[in-house]
Amino acid sequence: MNIEMVDGPGGVVVLRPAGRLNMVAAPAVREAVNSIVDSGRSRIAVDLSGVDFIDSSGLGALISGLKSTRQAGGDLRIAGANDQVKLVLSLTNLERVLTPYDTVENAYGDA
Amino acid sequence: MGEMVTRTLRLMSPPDTVDTVHDLLDSTWEAVPDLHMRDRMALDTAIIELAANVIQHANRGRPITATLTIIAFTDRIEATLSDSGEIGEVDIEGRTMPEADELAESGRGIALMKALVDTVEHRRVDGFNHWTLVRAREQVRIPDAPPKHMPSVSISGIIDEMARQRALEEMGILDTPPEDRFDRVTRLAKQLFGVDGAMINLIDGDRQWAKSVAGNGPEEMPRSASVCAVTIEDERTLVVPNLFENPELRDKAVADELVFYAGHPLHAPGGERIGALCVYDGSPRTFSEREQEMLRDLADWVQQELTASHELSRAAEVQQGLLPQSLISMPGWDIAGMCLPARAVGGDFYDWYPVGEGAAITLADTMGKGIGSAIIAATVRAVLRSAARFGDVAGAVDLAAASLNADLDTTGLFVTLLHGRLDMDTGEFTYVDAGHGLTVVARRDGTIERLRSSTPPLGVDLDTEWQSSSVTLNPGDVLITASDGLLDLYDGTLDALDKIGALALLASTSSEVTDAVRTRARGVAPDDVTVVVVRRDG
Repeated sequence: MNIEMVDGPGGVVVLRPAGRLNMVAAPAVREAVNSIVDSGRSRIAVDLSGVDFIDSSGLGALISGLKSTRQAGGDLRIAGANDQVKLVLSLTNLERVLTPYDTVENAYGDA
Repeated sequence: MGEMVTRTLRLMSPPDTVDTVHDLLDSTWEAVPDLHMRDRMALDTAIIELAANVIQHANRGRPITATLTIIAFTDRIEATLSDSGEIGEVDIEGRTMPEADELAESGRGIALMKALVDTVEHRRVDGFNHWTLVRAREQVRIPDAPPKHMPSVSISGIIDEMARQRALEEMGILDTPPEDRFDRVTRLAKQLFGVDGAMINLIDGDRQWAKSVAGNGPEEMPRSASVCAVTIEDERTLVVPNLFENPELRDKAVADELVFYAGHPLHAPGGERIGALCVYDGSPRTFSEREQEMLRDLADWVQQELTASHELSRAAEVQQGLLPQSLISMPGWDIAGMCLPARAVGGDFYDWYPVGEGAAITLADTMGKGIGSAIIAATVRAVLRSAARFGDVAGAVDLAAASLNADLDTTGLFVTLLHGRLDMDTGEFTYVDAGHGLTVVARRDGTIERLRSSTPPLGVDLDTEWQSSSVTLNPGDVLITASDGLLDLYDGTLDALDKIGALALLASTSSEVTDAVRTRARGVAPDDVTVVVVRRDG
């Protein structure tokens, strides 16, 4: 999976995975997050507007990213989730820890 | 709504991944234009979870093959994934979603599947895992209703049938002759309920086969005409007062012969429904709650008999396993044995094993037949094997007899045996014959010598002094020892031994002799038949 990585407002790094975020693509997401954290930055927004589909492996990669950014004093937030992603978040009771924001801008609106 | 749509995918991972599965799903849904978005979302997610779970966990890194079949009915979608992975127990019931605040990175897959579809089932048959997912389509869904278990109608039915058939075949009861222990139950049922007939029917592939018939029922009939084949679809007793008045069973009714029917399913040891105990009559009839209870009791009885014979056949396997399997290396010698119990297990056994430079050879016959004798036979074998390591032949029998006396005394059994040791170089066979007397040496020149029995059987006289004798086998000579069941195959006298001796001289190998006896004994032997043949090349 090709993951676009761009600088967002307020020092936030925006990740843009595309396609299916499943067990095939999940390792790439983990690696991308790890490389950002290793480079000393820990505020990440994952823009899911290009993601058609997520499964529990994809979810696991996001949670892993959430934990490593928080340990580094930052956070990982998600934006642009489609209905399928929202359905999976709601069924797995993860909406509270991975709250889906409409846009990347809103994700860190409080910052 | 459209017609039923079926798609199948053969998966091999690696190189296939969940993306391959996803592509199949996309193409399947194209053929189901009226599929609701919510159904598609739920099914995609659940099926990908399932495929990921199988690919990731089932074979722990080893390649895996799987078949995914998706069937879209008008009211439901069913998906079955069959894989070659190794999964023992799968606890679908117990998999619940981790707590909301728990940041576990895995462990949500099965819980997620359960939340998305109405049924998640796992079966293991013939080394394959079969996973079935069923979701009722939005068109028939009650809004906001929680998932409700829907039995799958397509694939899992086939899998259940496979498991059922396999269980039935493993019981080894099909096409066996009538047995009184079953006939007793059907006779009783017929009398008890005052009906035309009672049967124990087993559903085998596309036929119904009767293990027992009281009355005029057919031994065999097509499954399509069988009412018991309907009974086994459920755990409950099927009672039909008048088949002609039942729209679904009307076509199985036979005027004046099969009008009333009551049947209760019978299970294999693993729980698969393999057949039914049924009663029937040529006239309509009611069947009270109390009568149903009695029928269930009788079915339980049949069940116990079925299980007992299953366990017995396992015992038979074990007993056959105790016989020497591989030939010990005896250059210049050819040895063969056979043991055919009259029942599933028996009191005869033979044994041979290397001792020092030669071989110990035993043939023993425990008085009686069946399980009790078999237990004693196994004990005698074990005791003799350990005793043979100490001292000479007489010493070994003495030690064995001393250890066995108490057991034999308690059980009231006794054992006849020939136990000897063969010196392969000289051909000298040193032996103790304990009340056996059924051993001959057929000489190359055609004379037959009977070996004398000098001592009583084990378990008769506690103070016996065991003495050995010896005989020398020259090149071309054959020693044959047998149990008394062999005599019954001929005229019942010791002349049978002479006949076998003559046969052995004509045969070119020892196993030719045992094969001949086996053929003669098949199906007619009233007693256990055991023979050991030892020939010296020449």
